[in-house]
Amino acid sequence: MALSLRVVPFGGAGVDRRRTAWLMLLPLLAGLLIFAVYPSLYVLALSFTKSTLGQPFKTWIGWGNYRWLTIGGDEIFAPSLLRAALFSLGVALLELWLGTWLALLLASLKRGGRLVRSIMLLPLMTPPVLVGVAWKLLLAPGGGLINGKLLEWGLVDRPVSFLGTQPWAMLSLMVADVWQWTPFVAILAYAALRQVPDDIIEAALLDGASDSAIFWRILLPLTAPLLLAIFVLRLIMAFKTFDLLYILTFGGPGSSTEMAGFAIWRTALRSFDVGTAAAQTVLFAVFVSIFILPFLWLNRRVEERAS
Amino acid sequence: MADRLDRSATSALQLNRRSLLAASAAVTGAAALNLSPLLRSRSFAGQELNLTIIQPHAIAGEVLKKLFLEQAGVTLNFTVIPYDQVHAQATLDVQSGANHYDVHDYWYTSIGALVDDKVVVDVTEWIERDKEKIEPGDFIKSIYDAYTLVNGRRWGLPYDGDSHVLFYNTEILHRHGLEAPATWDAYYQAVKTITEHEKANGIYGTALLGFKVPVIIISSYANRLAGFGGKFLKDGQPDLLSDESIAAADELLRIAPYALPTPSETAFDQALPAFLSGNVAFLEFWTDLGVRSQDPKNSKIVDKWDVTQLPVGGKNKTPVAALDAGFGWAISAGSTKKELAWEFVRWAASAQTSLKLLTTYNSGIDPTRNSTLNAPEYKSFAPKVQRAAAAAFGSALVWPTVPQAPKLLDALTEQLALILAGQTKPKAGLEAAQHAWERLLA
Repeated sequence: MALSLRVVPFGGAGVDRRRTAWLMLLPLLAGLLIFAVYPSLYVLALSFTKSTLGQPFKTWIGWGNYRWLTIGGDEIFAPSLLRAALFSLGVALLELWLGTWLALLLASLKRGGRLVRSIMLLPLMTPPVLVGVAWKLLLAPGGGLINGKLLEWGLVDRPVSFLGTQPWAMLSLMVADVWQWTPFVAILAYAALRQVPDDIIEAALLDGASDSAIFWRILLPLTAPLLLAIFVLRLIMAFKTFDLLYILTFGGPGSSTEMAGFAIWRTALRSFDVGTAAAQTVLFAVFVSIFILPFLWLNRRVEERAS
Repeated sequence: MADRLDRSATSALQLNRRSLLAASAAVTGAAALNLSPLLRSRSFAGQELNLTIIQPHAIAGEVLKKLFLEQAGVTLNFTVIPYDQVHAQATLDVQSGANHYDVHDYWYTSIGALVDDKVVVDVTEWIERDKEKIEPGDFIKSIYDAYTLVNGRRWGLPYDGDSHVLFYNTEILHRHGLEAPATWDAYYQAVKTITEHEKANGIYGTALLGFKVPVIIISSYANRLAGFGGKFLKDGQPDLLSDESIAAADELLRIAPYALPTPSETAFDQALPAFLSGNVAFLEFWTDLGVRSQDPKNSKIVDKWDVTQLPVGGKNKTPVAALDAGFGWAISAGSTKKELAWEFVRWAASAQTSLKLLTTYNSGIDPTRNSTLNAPEYKSFAPKVQRAAAAAFGSALVWPTVPQAPKLLDALTEQLALILAGQTKPKAGLEAAQHAWERLLA
């Protein structure tokens, strides 16, 4: 059956295909302009000004905010970027490893897989603020479950200040984040594993391949592009961690858990220095973009090899 | 952020409908006298005012709402918000053009920034016009100027004068033969003794409020700074490297190892239960702790506590109140009912209304006027706390109120948190804070 495309004129004569296409694109373009381009330009413009919450664009100061944040003596923002990078890399790697392991366990389940997957989603469905509160209660020096058990078992002779000392504070943040997000990674990794055709696995089994060999030589190479995409996704999400930080440590002790997103919030809505916060936001976006470049490149290479 | 009670009439401590009505009825008679002729004529009757109010003042808001409706026929619509979000809410309300709010319950440290951002209106002329009713000379001077004066003009009226006092558990102190400390050194020795002897039983000398939030960690620092006779700003310039300032930071750090673990994590929700359950001997806190300490539902130390003014240190021999927190009423620049808003502000900050709020359970209001601080009703309502507050208010340490104050407090918070976490030495931390303040004030 021969198919032919024909432009159906509407809106009167003279409306051609090209114009129709633009008209159909218009809502999307308008949305992008309003919700993406305009805010980005606004933040960029703010970053070159001295602005407060009440008086945006108070004074044009050129690169003043950027100079202060980079070479001008600010001691908070640059370390917060590095902390955010370390935190994100750490949790994303851990979650990928644990999530893939859980996904393999899920895939090997003969019965009850659906129920287990539903239960696994619970941490993900818990609001991050509540996750923070729960972990704060668990880790509290006085009356906290974890300290209570450590004391009861005689592993410590006095309560450990998990959120008030380093490196425990950063580790605690990572543990809470991993607890919350590993199920998300596991579910995605499970979906990736399910895409591997069963006949390939069966053939390998018939050839006498071990479970380990099947994972390293078949499953991992075939799912690597997806797993890497999941990793990059979590990496970017982890860079923006705020809720847990706000509830658990508020950036402390000192500033040892203060990460970029939190620092930006503090500058904008506690110091009301909106101009500097805008410059921080721009630097943050640039930093994250550069930081994830190698992983995107790696992802592309793995995809090319897989195809 | 405080009201107080140190009597054992515990059944009366819970604010219920009956006590609210009783308080309201009591206020009606007296405060109605303070209505302006305009309000008394009920020419505003049927109108509404939208106000922000901080969470600890929610009950005071209920009382004010009922009274103002009865007396002036005006409905007050309060939006209860956290104390540290008033500035942002007020600013965004005006800046966005929403102009929903007429009056704000502002933290006094933000008044300079609110003025600079053109969020609140100048009420100097109105104060002058109504000075006979307002009695500006009756306001505690350090509070009146700090809360309202910016660039020589007045921008609001005070209605809650907060400062810390030193609460202590008499039972624990008696066990160790200790008395309420008059100096920070005596305080340190007492805390050390108690912690060393009772830590194994889970009892500590103090709960040091050290969580990294300005109103928490700077309050702890300001208490010591006031005690040593220091100031945040001297002639408008940062004074964080004075001997007094460094001594205050040293004192903060010195006490930390003997405080409830761990000061960096200690905020209100850790310190209050510890003190009220009898697990810490001392707590520097707002005077409303007196009410909670006598409430048997929440306290195991009923009749086992007392309160005194904050200790002194160094060369200073006179107790100084640190104005930790404290709130006033200001009129939003976006209000379309400024005249009515002023009538409310004037009425709500009057001596009569203040006194009734002061003697209302859990209103969260502290004295801002000499007449209410020394009123017989207040003395009988909270004798212990009244004595401590009256003794300290002779002179007071004011936090910065300049337009850059939010940034200044944030920068100092950062350094104090580093000091308390042991990540920097007190002097080095204060040098960094001084440097930051100099840059911000330049």
